[in-house]
Amino acid sequence: MNEWFRRLQYLLHRRRFDRELANDMEFHREMAARHGGAPFGNTFRLREEARDAWGWTWIERVSQDLRYAARQLRHSPGFTLAAVLMLAIGIGVNVAAFGFFNLMVLRPLPIRNPSTLLRFKRRAPKSYAYQMPYPEMAFFREYSKTLSAVIAVSGAKLAIEGENKPLVAEFVTPNFFRELGARPALGRMFDPEMRASDAEPVVVLSREFYQRHFGAVPSIIGKAIRLNDKPVTVIGVASGDFSGLSMDRPDLWLPITQQPYFVTGSHLLTNFSVDADGVTMFGRLQPGLAAVAAEGELKSLAAVLHHRQPADIWENESLPSYPGGYAKNLGGGRHGTGTEQSDEAYPLIALVGSLVLLILAAACGNLGSLLLARGVARQREMAIRKALGAGTGRLIRQLFTESLVLALLGSASGLALGYLVLRVLLLTAKTPAWLNAAPDWRVVLFSIGIGFVAAILFGLTPAFQIARQRNRATRTRQVLIGAQIAASFILVILAALLMRALNHAVSAHPGFEYRQVVSIDPGLAAHGYSASRSRTYLNTLRGRLASVPGVESVSMSSSPPLGNKKVVTGLDIARRSVDVHMYGIDPQFFDTMKIPLQQGRNLTPGDTHAVVISRSFARQWPEKDPLGRPFQMGDTNFTVVGIVGAARLVALQDPDAVEAYYLAFDSDLPSMVLLVRTAGPPEGLVAFLASLAKSIDPKVFPDVQLMKSSFRRKMEGAEYAALSVSLLGLIALILACLGIVGLVSYAVANRTKEIGIRIALGANPARVITVVVRQLAQPLLAGSLVGVFGAAVLSQLLRRQLYGISNLDPIAYLGAIGVFVLMVAVAALLPARRALRVDPLRSLRYE
Amino acid sequence: MPKCDMPPGSLVLLILRVLRSGTLHGYAIAQRIHVVSSEVLQVEEGSLYPALQKILLKGWVTSEWGISETNRKVRFYRLTPAGRKRLESELSDYERVHAAIRSVLRTA
Repeated sequence: MNEWFRRLQYLLHRRRFDRELANDMEFHREMAARHGGAPFGNTFRLREEARDAWGWTWIERVSQDLRYAARQLRHSPGFTLAAVLMLAIGIGVNVAAFGFFNLMVLRPLPIRNPSTLLRFKRRAPKSYAYQMPYPEMAFFREYSKTLSAVIAVSGAKLAIEGENKPLVAEFVTPNFFRELGARPALGRMFDPEMRASDAEPVVVLSREFYQRHFGAVPSIIGKAIRLNDKPVTVIGVASGDFSGLSMDRPDLWLPITQQPYFVTGSHLLTNFSVDADGVTMFGRLQPGLAAVAAEGELKSLAAVLHHRQPADIWENESLPSYPGGYAKNLGGGRHGTGTEQSDEAYPLIALVGSLVLLILAAACGNLGSLLLARGVARQREMAIRKALGAGTGRLIRQLFTESLVLALLGSASGLALGYLVLRVLLLTAKTPAWLNAAPDWRVVLFSIGIGFVAAILFGLTPAFQIARQRNRATRTRQVLIGAQIAASFILVILAALLMRALNHAVSAHPGFEYRQVVSIDPGLAAHGYSASRSRTYLNTLRGRLASVPGVESVSMSSSPPLGNKKVVTGLDIARRSVDVHMYGIDPQFFDTMKIPLQQGRNLTPGDTHAVVISRSFARQWPEKDPLGRPFQMGDTNFTVVGIVGAARLVALQDPDAVEAYYLAFDSDLPSMVLLVRTAGPPEGLVAFLASLAKSIDPKVFPDVQLMKSSFRRKMEGAEYAALSVSLLGLIALILACLGIVGLVSYAVANRTKEIGIRIALGANPARVITVVVRQLAQPLLAGSLVGVFGAAVLSQLLRRQLYGISNLDPIAYLGAIGVFVLMVAVAALLPARRALRVDPLRSLRYE
Repeated sequence: MPKCDMPPGSLVLLILRVLRSGTLHGYAIAQRIHVVSSEVLQVEEGSLYPALQKILLKGWVTSEWGISETNRKVRFYRLTPAGRKRLESELSDYERVHAAIRSVLRTA
């Protein structure tokens, strides 16, 4: 029986122990009285002192404090409501942001054993790829001992009758559903033992597609449907909460072994080339093994494979693994050379995190000054409690307990608010249904934690000030107001920057004309077209398109403008690394996209070693005039022959993006996208162009897009960001204005007498107002300076999302300052007017 | 009757010592110390009971119900083996310090 055990026992039986102690003392008093000893002291106090030895009195005090705090807050419901509301906003946006982070990064996917699932990338000293050739995956699957199962996923677009847009399909290894523990909502899933490609073609539908396209009629199970004009039997429907292994929300899943059946001519299952379509590889670790073991094994297997396929499997290829069971690590199919760009998500996470913390800071600052104002009203109470023997420490503890209770209430309502915000966000962003906004234990813990932080931020200083009855409350309030002003200033400036960027992106010329262009992506590579067959196909299609009345010009590019395909090459120019976006094009490209040739000449047919660079790229060269300079990419030597205007075709928002154009190689031909410029509005021509493209090879299903719509889709994200940050900025601004109203009203109330005397002596109104508002000057100035500085620093993180607007854009800053000054002036002057209405006589009699 | 304040820390030692000869209730502990010290040492109830609680917590004594000489139900305190060990070590500590103080007083 050790000390802690006895202590715990005392806690459990403390009433009995206390009774026994009381009995002891009672007996002692009787005996002392009988023997005429000194009178016994105050029993209650003695008992309390004796109980102290057990070390549990703090519990009593805390519960006392809590009861008192609850009573205090009940007595002023207006204050409590305002405080909890403010905290709910401050904590709510943080909970929403954390909730999203949690969904993406922390919470595993709703699949079986997410922790043992790994996703593999390819990496070599000079290259990287997120996908790997199917045969490479198959090799690993066959020889790996550290992985109990290997899953491969390959996305595709398939045509079905009755839908305008192509379906999002995923070709998966047959073990996909069983490995992920997915149960069918209807019918059955793939048989993992299904092997040969000669088996009957089967498809599993997603629940959403089953409802949208088939009206949720269960009799579809067992029926044949036609995908890419090929009959296939529907065997099952996945349940609605099945996440799969991507964020793409596929409409249906097909066995990857049957991919060539649907995509005629595809070499997916046999092609080793990194440029061809590949698969995303997932592996299930053998029980008890660490990811390093699998990585080591795969690396040595890759070395073996490199000897067999020296051209396609890289030398020193390694297969770094990532957790496969989390939403953030899904999706993405980039490959390239040189060092890989760092993850773009991290600056974004940092930015969002700082923004929501700023809101919390603004809310806390506000609440802090509210508490200080209340402290003035509670001076009497404090004085009485002090007189009754409460120590300063005890008073601080009591006041801080009140703040903690407030923070807890704020956490609870912030949790609810955050859930609502996140839900609305997820709904508007059309995320997959399995991303469940409901808070889990991490979010609950986070909201409690952040409530505690908030309590320290807003409650600790006021508690000290009030308990010590210092009259420096005004000073502290000024600091709090200054902090609020800084926080809201940053948010308003960032909002202004994003609005400017959005406005700029929509209205400014992006360097190319897209409004009357239609893109046609035949996806020849997926159908196994060779270079020569592609050339025939493209030439035929171009000929037919060019003869359509209303078509102005036709050209092609290996990466379509405003598309999702990015080919970026890292180059060393003047010992600086530059990421260059590469486009394989034909000579008509600049004409179709209306990109002006500024210097030199255009590419001409047969120009295999010429390259045209953008003006933005030309500026990176150490020479004034890069024309005629050599340029090496891969193993080919190019010469710069022309300079065209800067046109960020695929990276609209990134001001650092620079472009280089070369005449498409034969190897580029299977992945070319045709671009058609129309003389008038292109909408009417889309259907006709689509049928024209379809008529050349019935096995190919071209994807025809209005470039206008692609642009609008690209803008959605920017609008979303501008709107959310503006909303945050508005909330922060309102909070800061409320704080200013409070401070000025307090100043007026505090100086009624002085103001009365001034008015009685004939001071003019402007002077009186100046006196009242003067104490705002310091926090306002300091806050704005900190705010502008903070905005300049934080907006660095935004730079690549600003569509070329500088993150120090003077118009945005001036606009934000203008809005800010206006709001602050109104907030200060409204209560200040009261100072003028002070009746001198009454104010002198006041007090 | 001259009264002296207890040297700090010695109360626990005294309580343990008077309990070595048998179980006692709280009042008797105070009385015993008072009497044995020839009425020099006075144990205030304000320090006796907190000290007893501390000793209980440390596990040096246990309490049990008994009947007082006035026929009243009251708790008696009994020294535990751990308490006995503690008493020995406190006693030897006390002797050493005491001897040291003495020698300083005598020679310095």
